Amino acid sequence: MLVLFETPAGFALFKVLDEGKLSNVEDLWKEFATSESARKVVKLKAFSKFENTTEALSAATLLIDSKPSKGLRKFLRTHCDGETLAVADSKLGNAIKEKLKIDCLHNNAVMELMRGLRNQLTELISGLATQDLAPMSLGLSHSLSRYKLKFSPDKVDTMIIQAIGLLDDLDKELNTYAMRVREWYGWHFPELAKIVQDNIQYAKAVKLMGNRVNAVDLDFSEVLSEEVEAELKEAAVISMGTEISDLDLVNIKCLCDQVLALSEYRAQLYDYLRSRMNTIAPNLTALVGELVGARLIAHGGSLLNLAKQPGSTVQILGAEKALFRALKTKHATPKYGLIFHASLIGQAAPKLKGKISRSLAAKTALAIRYDALGDSTDSSMGLENRAKLEARLRVLEGRELGRSAGSTKGKPKIEVYDKDRKKGAGALITPAKTYNSSADLLLGQATTPEQALSRKRKHEEVEPEPAKETLDAPVQEGSEKKEKKKKKKNKTETNADDATDEAGEPEKKKKKKKAESSSSELPKQDETSVPENEQEPGTKEKKKKKRRHAEAEEPSANVEEQEAETKSKKKEKKKEKKGE
Amino acid sequence: MAAKEEEPYEEGGGDGMDGGVGVKDGKKVVVVPHRHDGVFIAKGEEYALCTKSMVVGESVYGENLLTVQNEDGTKVEYRVWDPFLSKLAGAIIEDVDDLWIVPGAHVLYLGAASGTTVSHVSDIVGPMGVVYAVELSYWSGSNLVNMAEKRTNVIPIIEDAWHPSKYRMLVGMVDVIFSDIDHPDQVRILAMNASYFLKNEGHFVISIKANHIDSTAPAEQVYYREIKKLYAEQFKPAEKVDLEALEIDHAFIFGGYRMPKKPMRKKRRPVT
Repeated sequence: MLVLFETPAGFALFKVLDEGKLSNVEDLWKEFATSESARKVVKLKAFSKFENTTEALSAATLLIDSKPSKGLRKFLRTHCDGETLAVADSKLGNAIKEKLKIDCLHNNAVMELMRGLRNQLTELISGLATQDLAPMSLGLSHSLSRYKLKFSPDKVDTMIIQAIGLLDDLDKELNTYAMRVREWYGWHFPELAKIVQDNIQYAKAVKLMGNRVNAVDLDFSEVLSEEVEAELKEAAVISMGTEISDLDLVNIKCLCDQVLALSEYRAQLYDYLRSRMNTIAPNLTALVGELVGARLIAHGGSLLNLAKQPGSTVQILGAEKALFRALKTKHATPKYGLIFHASLIGQAAPKLKGKISRSLAAKTALAIRYDALGDSTDSSMGLENRAKLEARLRVLEGRELGRSAGSTKGKPKIEVYDKDRKKGAGALITPAKTYNSSADLLLGQATTPEQALSRKRKHEEVEPEPAKETLDAPVQEGSEKKEKKKKKKNKTETNADDATDEAGEPEKKKKKKKAESSSSELPKQDETSVPENEQEPGTKEKKKKKRRHAEAEEPSANVEEQEAETKSKKKEKKKEKKGE
Repeated sequence: MAAKEEEPYEEGGGDGMDGGVGVKDGKKVVVVPHRHDGVFIAKGEEYALCTKSMVVGESVYGENLLTVQNEDGTKVEYRVWDPFLSKLAGAIIEDVDDLWIVPGAHVLYLGAASGTTVSHVSDIVGPMGVVYAVELSYWSGSNLVNMAEKRTNVIPIIEDAWHPSKYRMLVGMVDVIFSDIDHPDQVRILAMNASYFLKNEGHFVISIKANHIDSTAPAEQVYYREIKKLYAEQFKPAEKVDLEALEIDHAFIFGGYRMPKKPMRKKRRPVT
């Protein structure tokens, strides 16, 4: 009988020398108490080593599911002829029996045998010492655990933390070296430092010319701009710097090479960081950008750690010194930390930065949690939230504008309510406020003041709805227009009109149509004043009963364009015309 | 070294300071070995249990680190072991007779969770010993794997302890099985694992939380039933340690496995 024993190093096949001993299950353990007696019971017949950790990992994972791996099957086929095989797992035994037609055995005696084998493993398998087995076991267990936990090397945030640390280091080094170049070369050509401001250009220029006397003959066009080049050439002739030897120049040039290489590497590193950030935390990058996102992660220690922080912490991450100082001395705490460098905060007006910082931090915390713990790999959530934040910023700006505009027009300034302040005529100080529907904000639409005017109008309008409709169609689903007036207008159509009108929308309107004069004079001011009325109608809700011809095209067309975005809520218009 | 050190004790319950233990680095602290090998007592203003840190400078779960200078000038670092966070420390404080987890031991730890107690067990068994830590959940398991990356004597196994055959490839024969799985069938699980991996005359440590086994019966009855189950599975409970002061209705049972039958000299009372 053969025994299959799995080790982290490979598969072992033992031959049972004395099957009689197996019948005495109770005392079987005695046989394995020492290595000599163990060797009398079993002998190693064959050992199949795992070539590398990947092979070991795949074999182990299959074994967990009680499936024999290809290597195991081959091993068994070669060595296990006509004998029964004792296995530790009955399901595995069944699988082997099916696939390889080898009879398998699993019972108490087998389990005892396994115990004994496990005890004496290192003795029985020559060439496998305890100290070899331990690290193999460790390596295999770590690989298995990583496999189980679905560890993906793409989602390692350590790379980000190291990359951003390196980026900062590189910047410092680059600056130090560039300053050194300037100082060193300044001994020979001091004026160059003032002429060429940029570090990289300076290094390239120095590399190109070496000794300043060469400057006059050389062409600096790829390195410097024309005026700078001209200045340089001028200054090179009348420079007050001393001469230096070629050996010194060689060394200075080496340093310039270093500077240029470093700056190239920095650019590469920055690209790498951006691509990694987009893979690891796409929603975070969509909201705040790659650099700020990377700094947040580095500050928090890991993406997971950062995900545990509330939004209020994310807001002031990076300003801890100011925060605790303010808390101790009972002053105002800082409003923003690292998040200050996000583009959304840069866009906001100084007064609004605090508010936006708070909203941004809240959404950022959500995005971080989504990236750290969620499953998706796209940045849709981050982009949505960013759009919401931008809309909020617009609203805040609008309010600000409104507030400041109000006072300059001469209306009394609305004062801050203070319950303890005694007021005179209390409620009569401010004028009565009515609901201003133009303050409603729906995503995708802008507000226009003309809408307010369109409320109660009873004019006829002539409009080339169709034109408007084409423009307004998406906007106007909800609007209903009822026409109350009965006026007919004839409209003359222009081809242009028709073309625009017939943009292909089915118009349904309720109309009481009248022939409309096509002259534009009559409806002219109407149109300007009642543009919306006309225009809206374009919607499908209107049923068209009669067709009208023509509409004043130019005015209406113009008006329509202006009104393209308005939406009307009510319509008193009675007829719509549609050009044919 | 005295045969038995004076009993270490914590400053009562409600010690809710950071780390739960009042001994901090910087104050004058003397560290003496505990009766159990591998465990130490730090005597400062208050007494604290600690283990010698295998990975210097790392605080695994936020515990305090003490650095002490030896006579020959070398620095040794100890990690404070909080009995309120770790039940095994609680058992030591409740003065268990034999703690089978000693330096050089091979330990199979079932129910490793995030690895707080496992790290201390790993400190005790030292570089010559091995701790096979089995934990099923992914969240705790990933913390465990992170902890194991720093400690080479901890082998993390993310598997269900119900099926020891699934990790038979990774585990050798062990000297002690420590079981901290709160499951009504935990004796069964322990027995299965022992039949695979626990050597003859090995030992076991099992933590019983009475509520988890049977929330209706009184604690003593639950303990009695579990002990009977242990006897049935070739285990020989030797000692029961009640963690009364530290956790309600919690007890540890220490004992042996497949112990050789001693000749009957006098009738001994079974453990209750």
